[in-house]
Amino acid sequence: MIMRAGQALLLPANPWFIWGSLLGTLLLGMVLQVALLGRAPWMPDLLALTLVFWCVYQPRRIGVGTAFTLGLLIDVHHGALLGQHALAYSVMCYFAVVLHRRLLWFDLQKQAAHLLLLFLLAHALQWLARALAGDPWPGWTMLLAPVLQAALWPLATLLLLAPQRRAHDRDDDRPI
Amino acid sequence: MPLGTLDQSPPPFFKQGTSALSKLLVLSALAILLMVVDAKLHWAAPVRHALGVAISPLQWLALQPLHLLRWSGQYLGSLEAAQQEAALARAELVRQAERAAIVEHLAQENRELRTLLGLRARQAPTGRAAQILYQLADPYSHRAVIDLGSQDGVQPGSPVMDGFGVLGQVTRVHLTQSEVRLLIDPQQAIPVINTRTGQRSLAFGLPPSADQSLLELRFEPSRTEAAVGDLLTTSGIDGVYPPGLPVAQIVSVSAAGSDPSGFARVEAAPLAHMHHALHVLVLTPVGRPGVGSSAPAPGATP
Repeated sequence: MIMRAGQALLLPANPWFIWGSLLGTLLLGMVLQVALLGRAPWMPDLLALTLVFWCVYQPRRIGVGTAFTLGLLIDVHHGALLGQHALAYSVMCYFAVVLHRRLLWFDLQKQAAHLLLLFLLAHALQWLARALAGDPWPGWTMLLAPVLQAALWPLATLLLLAPQRRAHDRDDDRPI
Repeated sequence: MPLGTLDQSPPPFFKQGTSALSKLLVLSALAILLMVVDAKLHWAAPVRHALGVAISPLQWLALQPLHLLRWSGQYLGSLEAAQQEAALARAELVRQAERAAIVEHLAQENRELRTLLGLRARQAPTGRAAQILYQLADPYSHRAVIDLGSQDGVQPGSPVMDGFGVLGQVTRVHLTQSEVRLLIDPQQAIPVINTRTGQRSLAFGLPPSADQSLLELRFEPSRTEAAVGDLLTTSGIDGVYPPGLPVAQIVSVSAAGSDPSGFARVEAAPLAHMHHALHVLVLTPVGRPGVGSSAPAPGATP
């Protein structure tokens, strides 16, 4: 197995944690939108970020199918065009799966730069779908969302990889 | 398995399952099909309802902090604020009572005149109180969700108003919730009448690039009589909105002949509190002979 210098050896991911984190971010996004912010075009899409994270780190478990299903749920929740998020998430996760071997050779900033393109692509697809359906351009603040999502990538890596970074066999005397 | 994890089982060598590319092709074709069906053919309602039922537990969970917030706000709100509000309400009541006496008298007179002229009697609109739960996150439109649905008898097309004026129209009804498209949405139109001049016109929401809190009167002749401060109410000719509900107040009228299109540019501020309304009233669409209230015209399409 070829590994980048200085890369930590990780524990296997717990499937419960993967699915829990996906549903958790879905719920977190809903709570933020419902209770705090209302309609905010600049709001980063946390679910998309978590989906891309798992597509990069666990491409055999989370892939295009999961992205499609969660995208449909988001479409219904937002009252958007049915299939709009499903298409955007599917394409985004496909490229995340394609990128996953390459991406982890870079440091976090360069990873975020790669993913910024993915997030922009997802938003552009949604805009295209809505423009074809006859909706007007919602304003430039919408472009902040993919940038914020890419900026949150280091935080997502820190939080979502934390359970896998524990010691393999716990030992109170060893300082790891 | 991904790079650099300790895993006991090696990944399968030959049995890799469907490739990501073929999955992507099939699913994006499905997504595009769904979008076309939803946008152009309007057949996607059953899919939307089924998915809505699947996601409703999560929505219920997400609404709990909001309910807690509102409840605690009511419970812990200071006594002084409550007393102030009560005093204000009493003053308002006295003012309204004085007006109501005149209205009673006028209604009586109106009834007699209408029988004299053989006109159809005007029905008083019936309404149901509802609460606005949240605004939809979709950045392409202005919509809010209320806590009444098809099981409470809400019909698509019903007008919705808050205590100050018309707020919007119900455009999609779920089992326990409904979506209300607000008047400031660029795709929403409402027929209005200027109470001072009697001029009828259509008020539209402005596109998102312009000011988000105003309505625009389209197709106003350049020598329009409308003036700043005029009150606009529903005209009732659409068969959806009952006549006489307050809608907006004109805030700007462009000078005659200043616009190359030949129309005057008239903007009005809606009276309803678009972003802060909490308690609203869902009215039944009026319906008119020939149209029928069972299939109300979606007022969204001008």
